[in-house]
Amino acid sequence: MPNLIEVQNLGKSFGDNEVLKNISENVEKGQVICVIGPSGSGKSTFLRCLNVLEKPSVGKVLFEGNSLTGIGERELNNLREKMGMVFQSFNLFPNMNVIENIKLAPLRVKKMADAEATQQAEKLLERVGLADKAEQYPQSLSGGQQQRVAIARALAMNPEVMLFDEPTSALDPEMVGEVLKVMQDLAESGMTMVVVTHEMGFAKKVADEIWFMADGCIQEKGTPETFFKTPKTARAQDFLSKILN
Amino acid sequence: MKKNKFFLFIIIFLLALIIPFTHVKAASDNYLQKVKDKGTLVVGTSADYPPYEFTSKENGKTKYVGLDVSIAEKFAKDIGVKLKIRNMNFDSLLVALETHKVDMVIAGMNPTPERKTSVDFSKIYYTGNQYMLINKSDAARFKKIEDFKGKTIGAQTGSLQYSLVKQQMKGNDVKGLAKLNDLVIALQSHKVNGVAMEEATAKAFAENNRTLKVINPGFDIDASQTGSAIGFPKGADSLVEAANKTIDEIKKDNLINKEYIPAAAKNMTTNSKKNSMMNYWTYFAKGIEYTLIITVVSVFFGFVLGTLFALMRLSHNKLVHGLAVSYIEFVRGTPLMVQVMFVYFGIGAVIQSLPALVAGIIAVSLNSAAYVAEVIRSGIESIPSGQTEASRSLGMSQKETYRYIIIPQALKNIWPALGNEFVTLIKESSIVSIIGVTDLMYQMQLVQSATYKGVIPIFIAMVIYFLMTFSLSKVLGYFEGKMKHA
Repeated sequence: MPNLIEVQNLGKSFGDNEVLKNISENVEKGQVICVIGPSGSGKSTFLRCLNVLEKPSVGKVLFEGNSLTGIGERELNNLREKMGMVFQSFNLFPNMNVIENIKLAPLRVKKMADAEATQQAEKLLERVGLADKAEQYPQSLSGGQQQRVAIARALAMNPEVMLFDEPTSALDPEMVGEVLKVMQDLAESGMTMVVVTHEMGFAKKVADEIWFMADGCIQEKGTPETFFKTPKTARAQDFLSKILN
Repeated sequence: MKKNKFFLFIIIFLLALIIPFTHVKAASDNYLQKVKDKGTLVVGTSADYPPYEFTSKENGKTKYVGLDVSIAEKFAKDIGVKLKIRNMNFDSLLVALETHKVDMVIAGMNPTPERKTSVDFSKIYYTGNQYMLINKSDAARFKKIEDFKGKTIGAQTGSLQYSLVKQQMKGNDVKGLAKLNDLVIALQSHKVNGVAMEEATAKAFAENNRTLKVINPGFDIDASQTGSAIGFPKGADSLVEAANKTIDEIKKDNLINKEYIPAAAKNMTTNSKKNSMMNYWTYFAKGIEYTLIITVVSVFFGFVLGTLFALMRLSHNKLVHGLAVSYIEFVRGTPLMVQVMFVYFGIGAVIQSLPALVAGIIAVSLNSAAYVAEVIRSGIESIPSGQTEASRSLGMSQKETYRYIIIPQALKNIWPALGNEFVTLIKESSIVSIIGVTDLMYQMQLVQSATYKGVIPIFIAMVIYFLMTFSLSKVLGYFEGKMKHA
């Protein structure tokens, strides 16, 4: 499998605080990777470096062989189009209704015709099970519904990879399932995904590979079976014992 | 290093403000030729000084009349050009002359030595006495200068009377106001005990107000101080010469006493007969029109420029950011009145054809832009960074993010504050009246002059201002309600 994303010697510091330390990893096309680890280990920062919402302090991120750093704004925008992102706090645009949220980027960035964008948005809404909410405004939806709209919005750009930044952390427990279901369907359809999550059940069931992060490094990685059954590092053993009990 | 750069911007900014002063004067005396070339003689006056100059209503239109206006008319005719009157505060007349806003000034002005240092004068064309206007109820108490001991005396700022009171009534407080009408209101409400005035003017006021009386308090006056002369820019000898010729003719035929004063008196009596406010509704209507024009245009440019400055201030480019910060801080740190005068007289010295209305709109717009910029900046900063991140992660550019995501949301948040700024603008625009823009405030002063009534026009203007701001608040509130759904 070809590498979709290549991370080379990535480091990120905020002032004196070194959050990411010399990370080099690859994401293959079609792979589902779950990044887990304790709070403050740099998981979100790592994910945000992948589409350069955070600018890496050192090192490189390549997407389909193209560097995302040291390029012009327009080239960066073109590459970002292909990297969908879903945030912990949904970040839907409150000044637009659901279908407008989904249509905005296809219309403005891809210059898609309105009819086509509408048709595509309706299909995506059906896919996430919200076909009846097209005309509603985000504020009137539940958290789980908002997050599913956010996923549909990211999918509207036909991305090559989807980045999920703790997509269920801000949800009430009873809504977590509906979002994970959509994500699982997406994984089964062959989408490449990098998911920062605390949902171990989801990670076990869906991930091809688990990356365990602590102290700004990826401490170990492996298939869910090996990682959850026989974690190698002391940090991982400690982390798993805490969350599984 | 950063600090040094910032100070450099400020210095450049200040220099840009000062440079207009450096080439104000054109030395050679082609003044007369210039006036003839453009075909109009622009005359500055302060039309609240009957019988010298005041306004009269003829067929619904405001006309400047009085003996000075008659002289200006004759002078314009003698040199073969059209006459254009520019009405402004007495205080502003000499500045207007120095900055070439006007070609000459005729306003019952006395050629005092102090004034002669900055402008040239024609011969004296008329000599009047200096009187005192008092309340009739005080007639028994005040007869001579000595009787006013310890009392407050009113006089027009920058006028001869003001210096007279200062010099010859040392034990008295002088209350200086720009408009005679305001001084008369002050007198009627006993804020001052007397108002020093030129004879003819004082008599006019007394004739139109039964509660007022004129006395001659016996100011010690030398002839050069009581005579009125025409003011010209320094070095405009050709104009002075031409004016002296006209004055000689006027004196030879005794035109002032035979024609001009009787004509002025006739205008004054027609004025006092038509003192009902209903007759002056066109004045107020015109005032409303101009106030609305200034407000609407200034709101538009204030908003456009304000948005620009807000974006500049949020820019990561240090130069752009520094410029915006300097501008906003400077404008917010100086009074609008000073800005209005600076634009009209300062910038106007470079661009001499700059009309007062345009100058007023520029000043108010630039002022409003600084406040709007801060409102917009706070609105933009109130939008969570997640909105930007979501937009950028979809591949939208920074520009598209601002246009479709940030600005629409920010606008909704700041609408009440923005509305407040626009309401303020209606009220603050009244300041442009000082440079002679015929807004509501200015028109109100014209009505005061024309009717010799002080308080009623103020009250009417106040009600009109309130109706305008109140309706605007209602309209803004309507849109605010509409936006709530979005």
